[in-house]
Amino acid sequence: MNRASSGQRRMVIITLAIAGVWAANALKLNPIDLVTNNTSIIYDFFSRALSPAMDYESDVPLGTKPLIVKTLSAAWQTILFAAAAMGISLIGGVLFGFLASSSLMIESARGTVKYITVTLYGLVRFLMALIRSIHELLWAVLFLVAFGISELSAVIALALPCTGILAKIFSELIDETSRSAAHAIRGGGGTPIQVYFFVLLPQTIPDLLAYSFYRFECLLRSSAVLGFFGYPTLGFYIAASFENLFYGEVWCYLYTLFLLVAIVDIWSNQIRAELKL
Amino acid sequence: MNAARGSLCLKNVTVAYQGIEALAEVSLTLKPGEAAALIGLSGSGKTTLLNTCNALIQPTNGAVSIDGKKFSEMSSQELRYARSRIGFIHQSLSLVPNLRVIQNVVSGRLGQRSFLGGARDLLFPSTNVVEKVYEVLDSVGIAEKIYERTDRLSGGQQQRVAIARALFQDPLILLADEPISSVDPVRAKATISLIREICKKKGLTLCVSLHNLDLAKTFFPRLIGLQDGRLIFDKATETVGANEINKLFNLPDGCIDFGPLTSKPSMLGKSLE
Ligand SMILES: Nc1ncnc2c1ncn2[C@@H]1O[C@H](COP(=O)(O)OP(=O)(O)O)[C@@H](O)[C@H]1O
Ligand SMILES: [Mg+2]
Repeated sequence: MNRASSGQRRMVIITLAIAGVWAANALKLNPIDLVTNNTSIIYDFFSRALSPAMDYESDVPLGTKPLIVKTLSAAWQTILFAAAAMGISLIGGVLFGFLASSSLMIESARGTVKYITVTLYGLVRFLMALIRSIHELLWAVLFLVAFGISELSAVIALALPCTGILAKIFSELIDETSRSAAHAIRGGGGTPIQVYFFVLLPQTIPDLLAYSFYRFECLLRSSAVLGFFGYPTLGFYIAASFENLFYGEVWCYLYTLFLLVAIVDIWSNQIRAELKL
Repeated sequence: MNAARGSLCLKNVTVAYQGIEALAEVSLTLKPGEAAALIGLSGSGKTTLLNTCNALIQPTNGAVSIDGKKFSEMSSQELRYARSRIGFIHQSLSLVPNLRVIQNVVSGRLGQRSFLGGARDLLFPSTNVVEKVYEVLDSVGIAEKIYERTDRLSGGQQQRVAIARALFQDPLILLADEPISSVDPVRAKATISLIREICKKKGLTLCVSLHNLDLAKTFFPRLIGLQDGRLIFDKATETVGANEINKLFNLPDGCIDFGPLTSKPSMLGKSLE
């Protein structure tokens, strides 16, 4: 690290700190706001963290599924929405990642071919930026207004920004990969698509998987929140229990969500360890 | 059937990078089955020359043709076919490190396969393909490594994987760019000998760039000398005189050649890589 860049870094840090103070001041943030009349609710809520409900906190009609069964089925729905969205995003991410990377430009093309290649590249990057600039929950609201409650539109709402993000990350991973093997196969008559799928993509698989697992975690959380709009995921029940002040039940759902994320994390670590062998 | 036999012809080939000529007006012809060694200092244009031979580099001026057909006049289909019959062993080996040996070898043939055919070869190779890969690996002496991950092999073994990949293309022309730069001297001799034998047996046209003059003289009937992108000589090995060699390597006149030039890099003032 040389002196110029360490000086630059100091400038960046100071600038960020000033920006932070200025923003807090503009928003009139005041820690006192946190300790007002709501203290009893806060206490009630957090005190239940240590004793999450194992059964309903109110009388339920005869024949209602036990709380645990209901939680697990909500968790299962949460996974289903996230997994469906993940499948679509992975396919979209790999395909658009190809067009958004410089894979088509491995060899300097000439004339119209070059023109088409560069246009396609710019167009796809723009499209990906567009779909990921809108949060999945915002997409969900838009689709809700347009189509009403529909599983398909919920999955697409989750998948759209995820595809945009994966395409961006995949294309960057591809562009950081060594081009030497790609050149060799291109020189042996391989097409750009063959080179992308059989030479470049395999080299990025460890990073690509790690990032995909992280995105799956994000999808699980968003899928749970979809419940607030009426889909049968964890959020649906969290909202209901919260309204009725059944904080024990809320914690039961929250811990289930935490468990899901933890399982994905362990699973991802295992797979990555196997790949590194 | 194509009447392709593997002749290679460069005519007044000039390659310029940002106006600086890496190759200047080079003309040479390799007849089918001929073998030649390309020699010259680092930076003399050997890699550039070899890369024009499978159109990875397009000449600024002049033309390269395979069996009488210019690259610049080929359709993309014809170019793909021509390339698929030119094996190239790159200096940096250019293998995919986290694939298995068999997958790297099989990928040499992608130029002759459709997308799905290629996918099948890589993921679920037929017994026929596995047998062919085994055969090729056997010919370079590492058949037992067929299912090993490529980055777990030694440098010398990876070298052989690169050779096997080029041979698996079933090429008519084999080009090799300093194929022994990453192996020890004993292995180097064995590798050059191996490449030479295989090409002799199969009748392949062979052009190898080498910085080891001894090996070039021992194994090749024809030497091509490059200096600063220019062809200095191109003739039968026994007719290349000591003064021509000295001139090629910028040695003072009367200095006898001392075998592997790499052993005396400091004397030459210029790096020999
Ligand atoms: N991509 C490139 N851009 C600019 N100059 C290059 C490039 N590749 C090679 N050169 C230059 O062309 C000359 C020939 O290089 P090269 O063909 O690699 O020689 P050799 O393989 O004999 O060492 C060198 O002077 C090198 O610096
Ligand atoms: Mg070189």
